Amino acid sequence: MSIRLLALIPVAAAISLALSAAVDAVALPLFLDTTGTILATALAGPAVGIATGVMTSAVNTLRNPTFWPFVVVQIIVALYAWLAARAGLFRSLRTAVPAGLGLGVIASVTSTPISYFVFGCTTTGGIALATALGRALGLPPLGACFFGSFLSDFGDKAVTFALVTSVLHGLPRRTAARFPWALRAIGAA
Amino acid sequence: MSRLHPFTLLAIAGALPALAWILAAPVGGGWTATVALALTLTPGASPRVTSTGSSPGWRTGLVVLRTAVLTVAPFWLFLLLLHDVPTTIAIGLRITTMVASFVWLVATLEPARLVEAMVAAGWSASVAYLLAATLSAVPLLKARAQRIVEAQRCRGLSPRGGIGARLRALRALALPLVLSALHEVDERALALETRGLVPGIRRTPLAPPPDPAVERAVRWVLLLACLFALVRRFVVPGFS
Amino acid sequence: MRSLTLDRASFWYPAAESPALRGVSLDVAQGEVVALVGALGAGASTLLLVAADLAPRVTGGRLAGSVARHDRSGIVLPTPWTQSSGMAFTVWDEIAFGPANLGWPAHEIARQVDRALEQLQLAPLKSRDPATLSGGELQRVIIAAILAMDPGLVLFDEPAAELDAETAGLLWRLIRLLASEGKAVLLATSALDAVPDVADRVVWLEDGAIRAVGTPDLLADVAACDAGLGTSVATVWRAGGLPAPYPLTVTHAVQRWQ
Repeated sequence: MSIRLLALIPVAAAISLALSAAVDAVALPLFLDTTGTILATALAGPAVGIATGVMTSAVNTLRNPTFWPFVVVQIIVALYAWLAARAGLFRSLRTAVPAGLGLGVIASVTSTPISYFVFGCTTTGGIALATALGRALGLPPLGACFFGSFLSDFGDKAVTFALVTSVLHGLPRRTAARFPWALRAIGAA
Repeated sequence: MSRLHPFTLLAIAGALPALAWILAAPVGGGWTATVALALTLTPGASPRVTSTGSSPGWRTGLVVLRTAVLTVAPFWLFLLLLHDVPTTIAIGLRITTMVASFVWLVATLEPARLVEAMVAAGWSASVAYLLAATLSAVPLLKARAQRIVEAQRCRGLSPRGGIGARLRALRALALPLVLSALHEVDERALALETRGLVPGIRRTPLAPPPDPAVERAVRWVLLLACLFALVRRFVVPGFS
Repeated sequence: MRSLTLDRASFWYPAAESPALRGVSLDVAQGEVVALVGALGAGASTLLLVAADLAPRVTGGRLAGSVARHDRSGIVLPTPWTQSSGMAFTVWDEIAFGPANLGWPAHEIARQVDRALEQLQLAPLKSRDPATLSGGELQRVIIAAILAMDPGLVLFDEPAAELDAETAGLLWRLIRLLASEGKAVLLATSALDAVPDVADRVVWLEDGAIRAVGTPDLLADVAACDAGLGTSVATVWRAGGLPAPYPLTVTHAVQRWQ
């Protein structure tokens, strides 16, 4: 791994963790905690993306230990983002947003078993309450847990993909050209 | 406790939650949760990392215990909301073990000692760099994000309005942060290269923490205990 | 003896159509201080990156011509907060980061670090967390960190940008000391008033090519002053309508006046 890609990983992980200030300022129910993972993957490929996801989870775990089991989700996100980058899906919001919605479904499917078997669907208050709502609607326990995760992930991943698309298109050409996947991700190579 | 080798601290903090899940509930979880909560009271524990970074000075172990209890309390509440009492206790004790172990770990593990331990043990300098650099970068970027938020508020950014307006505002906040951070990647790479952090180097440890044979033995015992419990629980028939 | 030789070196950044450096030929000898001056975008920073073997190796891009380096180099970049290692939690460790990466024995690392601490007057800060330092303090730490690696060729890109006047004075004196110890120094700076006391030679870059090479008196030339590259004294002399040749420093101006 080149030194530039090594330098990218901590920065990308820190981006994921620092965006909470922006989210709080606009009072939206988002996490954006996979932004750095998706961005790093779109710029430099799956290995860098996975490393970014693992670092994000590791540092997040220092703040809240319950994040660590979800490192698997970060890895899945990186792999999905790689496929999206290979297909040039970051070339416009028209392709990026549906791709993000697809990731929302996959992320929910991945995180549900972890949330259910490890935490009994109590990872956040929002998920717990959404799970309770699902139970009240007659869903089985695992289904209610998926319902809670889905509500949380669906929109979040679509917004994240849209944000990463904006970033990739906002990069100066000279900067983008230094990352092996950046131009391909936006369909320019 | 903080003078223990960093790998020993990690082994303890990893073994307790592992055992909490492997051993039969609720007794197993009760035992591990008790040990983990007791660890938070050990001398030398200090609440180190909060959501924004390290806090200076020593405080009593009671403060560390309180941090663990306050972190885990909401989980118990939501478990009661969603599950029956036996399930709540079983899952709650496991989560308590995990949270208390990690809160104790954060209070006792100094990042500098961990980095030195990794280098001394022959880990790649690149891996040590990733962990340390991420820990260093997070508070810097968080501070920058806050400055961007304040600057945009001066320009009229408001959390009011519909979803579309808020998403546009989010973009106005996030893009400068991300683009400026990416621009700096090049300079960081140049700096690392010029200071000799290249793949494959054998870096000299500056202050390797001592690693007595006793602690190495303890780490092996913890690993074997987890494996033994795993085999007894899931492989040997009839074991409850 | 030469420390660095560029022979008709041209460099293009990735995806750039025009070169950032065009046919630059330059020697820097051991014990010599060469200052690079020019307008923004003239190519001084790029020339330093090429000299440091960072372009195109780390930056990407394409290099034409040849570059010969006879010493290990170290470069100080303008922005200190991007140069800190991220792996050090004290100033002492930050300065030791480079020597440790070179695999030097611990006693040699300690010797070089203590020497660098003394050169940059950083001993009172050695136990501080680098994240708590001001921009100027951190830049001094970075300079110390580069010097602790004992490079034969030292490259500075606007090293005084974050420094107050007193600390900048310390830096300029240190650069002369480095040259007296036999190191080669290549310095890109917009602090033109310091150049006459620091540099042995001045290289004027324009649009990636060398426009002129000379002694620091170059900064009192009519052409340099027309281009905004004169010292303050020369610029004021010229603005006052006084005749050429313009004085380079206050001392020269007093002599002319008398």
